[in-house]
Amino acid sequence: MRALGYFIGTFAVALILGIGSAWYMIERGSPLTTASFGPWRSWLSEGNPNADPYTRAHLARSGRLPLTSTVARYFMADTDSRGRSLYSGCEYSIVGAPLDARWWSLALYDANGSLIANPSHRYSFNSEEAIRRSDGSFHITLSRNARPENWLPEGSGPDRNLVLILRVYGARDTDISGIGQIPLERLPKIERVRCG
Amino acid sequence: MRVRLPGLYIALCVVLAGVIHVVAVLTLPMLAPRDAQARLAALGPANTMIQLPPPAPGHQVMPLMAPDIRYAVCRYDLSKGPVRLKARIADGLWVIAFYTPLGENYYAIVGADMKQPNLDLIVATKDQDVAEVGVDSPEAFDNVVVVTSPAVEGIAMIRAPLSGPSRSAEAEHALKSAYCGPHKGSS
Repeated sequence: MRALGYFIGTFAVALILGIGSAWYMIERGSPLTTASFGPWRSWLSEGNPNADPYTRAHLARSGRLPLTSTVARYFMADTDSRGRSLYSGCEYSIVGAPLDARWWSLALYDANGSLIANPSHRYSFNSEEAIRRSDGSFHITLSRNARPENWLPEGSGPDRNLVLILRVYGARDTDISGIGQIPLERLPKIERVRCG
Repeated sequence: MRVRLPGLYIALCVVLAGVIHVVAVLTLPMLAPRDAQARLAALGPANTMIQLPPPAPGHQVMPLMAPDIRYAVCRYDLSKGPVRLKARIADGLWVIAFYTPLGENYYAIVGADMKQPNLDLIVATKDQDVAEVGVDSPEAFDNVVVVTSPAVEGIAMIRAPLSGPSRSAEAEHALKSAYCGPHKGSS
């Protein structure tokens, strides 16, 4: 009887460990499948036909059709530069250095991957639209209410978690296999300005 | 025995957890019900170019679509023969990407790398002989790109990133002329 209890217990723990670790590595990635820098995370072989099983599972779950990394790179952030979740009740200041690529775009979504309704129909800034400063850097403010320079509205709905995606098309530096190289330290910094 | 027993259970637990982990990771791509192929199948028939509505709140075919890219999609089915795809690439930023039903991007053409703006290509499986179908002389094929699809079904997607704030209408208009259909009779 006791042996049966042990056995069921063992099985239950194994189930939690197995599913939990699989979920974590598919949802969040690991150093094997993703490159991380500060708040930004990029799946290295997303969309690649030779991708590993974790990347494939991640892709199938996401319902997206990303371009392979030799054409475009995608960087996702759901926290600020200090690791706190992006939240629509807070105002954030995003400061980025020029990226050496043909085109880039920074877009804001809710945690489900949907664009956020706002009266100015502004959902993203790309390399052609963002107002730059004289040194080529760009400053984007995420907030509920209008801000000068580049304002990316958080919408007026209930407070929610936010996700940022930086798409980089045609990076001019590539590695030996043609994968676009974006110097990770040039990725935008996301600073929380205030909450509430 | 009393000493060895917990160790045995721990070992069993680790092995079982490993097996469950591997099975979960490998089966998930097949179990995901709302993958991109399923979402696009809901939009219309195969072998037709379908322009996706501009991504807007509540109007996204797939999650995390770029609000400043315009998309056109052809879900192809090669079971009745090769499929022809034609488009006028209006901008060097455009990307034409080919996917397996599982979302693997097996081939992509970047507008900036093209020698001339008119894209003419045939998608076929590796068993299908493209030259025999509907064309008299091989010379007519000089500007035709043949894309070998690893599967009978797949997705061709044209992306038109907007190169400026008011380029939306222009990109949508340019995408309208993109064609996708059975290879026979299209040339």
